[in-house]
Amino acid sequence: MISVDDKLKEIGKYIPQPDDDMLVCRCEEVTKGEIRQAVHAGMFTIEEIRRFLRCGMGLCQGQTCGKLVKGIVARELKVSPAELEPAVSRAPMRPMEMEILGRDGGDK
Amino acid sequence: MKRYDLIVIGAGPAGLSAAIEAAKCGMKPVVFDENAKPGGQLFKQIHKFFGSKEHRAKIRGFKIGDDLLKEAEEYGVEVVLNATVIGLYPEKEVTVKIGDEVKHFKGDAILAATGASENMVTFKGWTKPGVIGAGAAQTMMNLHHVMPGQRVLMLGTGNVGLVVSYQLLQAGCEVAALVDAAPRVGGYGVHASKVSRCGVPFYLSHTIMEAEGDEYVTGVTIAEVDDKFQFIPGTEKHFDVDTICVAVGLSPMSQLLAQAGCKMLDTPGGYIPECDEFGQTSIDGIFAAGDVSSIEEASSAMIEGRIAGVSIAAAAGYLTEEERKEQCGALESALGSLRKGMFAPENRGKILKETEEGIEISTNLLAKGYVAEDEITRYPGFVKKAGVHPVMECTQNIPCNPCQDACPKGCITIGENITSLPVVDVEKDCIGCGMCVASCSGQAIFLIDEEYEEGYASVTMPYEFLPLPEKGDTGTALDRSGKEVCLAEVVSVKSAKAFDHTNLLTIKVPKDMADKARFFQR
Repeated sequence: MISVDDKLKEIGKYIPQPDDDMLVCRCEEVTKGEIRQAVHAGMFTIEEIRRFLRCGMGLCQGQTCGKLVKGIVARELKVSPAELEPAVSRAPMRPMEMEILGRDGGDK
Repeated sequence: MKRYDLIVIGAGPAGLSAAIEAAKCGMKPVVFDENAKPGGQLFKQIHKFFGSKEHRAKIRGFKIGDDLLKEAEEYGVEVVLNATVIGLYPEKEVTVKIGDEVKHFKGDAILAATGASENMVTFKGWTKPGVIGAGAAQTMMNLHHVMPGQRVLMLGTGNVGLVVSYQLLQAGCEVAALVDAAPRVGGYGVHASKVSRCGVPFYLSHTIMEAEGDEYVTGVTIAEVDDKFQFIPGTEKHFDVDTICVAVGLSPMSQLLAQAGCKMLDTPGGYIPECDEFGQTSIDGIFAAGDVSSIEEASSAMIEGRIAGVSIAAAAGYLTEEERKEQCGALESALGSLRKGMFAPENRGKILKETEEGIEISTNLLAKGYVAEDEITRYPGFVKKAGVHPVMECTQNIPCNPCQDACPKGCITIGENITSLPVVDVEKDCIGCGMCVASCSGQAIFLIDEEYEEGYASVTMPYEFLPLPEKGDTGTALDRSGKEVCLAEVVSVKSAKAFDHTNLLTIKVPKDMADKARFFQR
């Protein structure tokens, strides 16, 4: 869990980059710039960024962009990607219809 | 809730191997796989595998897949397809979506053999149709017999990038270039060489700047990068291509294990579960095997699966500790020999200067994809003698030795250590049967006869392209770099069942071209 002190880390100003409009999460259409801005808005964990921007929550469930998002956030925070807490894994691990999930009666 | 002795997630090489071993011991395993067909990635692998006999070397991947399925059936392994495991819980319960229902199962043991997914890189235009993963290209070509494109640029020179480039050529695509941001070729030199001699240029320390095209890919611009991976202005190169293939590594699909609460490690190779020597995670009874626990070759995944299967059977009381030790011992030694050599896990990221024999490594091979003419002569497989004889252009220590068993005359020696470079004994008489040529998974063996005819030499090469040339055909001989060097005439084409689709093409070239001509183009 990230500590409050980490949240106070000064990471400098958001400086626009020429490729900020590049799509990173294609399922949810989230750009590199949006991810970078989210970090500057104080979202330092993958979990927060995912909830805020929905990157990694689309059809492929972050299979394609997970590592890319982590790389962008790490670069923005000037840390190694390994230092970032990975996103939480939750069931259902694959996208599925709510109708089917809703009928899951558990152990019957 | 239905209970199983063992629930395996993933019917790829690791999962099936584990289920087979467990079933052999009397367990009743079930294997769930989200795909419509079992076998994981094995059925896309049309090339011959490396290793030695115990690893099923020189057998093509899809054939190994067939055999694995047969073995699974023989031992009564239940394989449930179109069954997506959506949750794994520490109580060893799994939830599986089958049809339009979520079903719950409990296993005395669980093995996650969920494999890996392809990494992506972003560049301008990377979301355009025509930018695909190398795995997708393999699926299209080798499973569905569809050409991914006419002209392809491959990004990534690891084994996947190299092998898929060769398969693209086999499928009839043109490969415009092989590009890698790293300064050195990442995969086996023999894989690089067989692509290079077909005339595909390698651009190391280069990466993609932009995929061009309005609606879909019509071209690509690459540029050189410095040691900080920043583009060097003025080094841009453009290629007209309709497909860009990306082969930049794999990431373990370990989310289920993370969800279950297994202790995870964030490594440069991906997010993997911490496992003991038997493949057991931090949760008692939950195991992992294959790419999900660390990215390796399918051969290693199958052995890891078998070790996990045996260990699970022993833990459940189906094997005594002695039986387990005996079986695991043999498997571990087989796995150990695959993890030796220049590409061994401990050598990842290291720059090696010399082979195990103390021979200087070919720098040209790493920078351009082929061994230079003045470098090849220093390896023990490169010999000169009167009459027909093998010339083995095997210059890196990789775990592979089928050539030494292939020669009926004992001309070729690798020895006990399967990563040693092959040595040709010039005292032994080569009969020119070509068994060594066909047995080499790296297509690195040639038969040379410098006195084929007055003023002419013959070069016999492994040839895996269709349609096959015929005797009497004339064309051009290409050297190791794919450059045209002379006219060549086909003097023999041999195909035999024992060669397993590696045809032996013999061309006649001027005598001074015997050491240069390595490929034939009509």
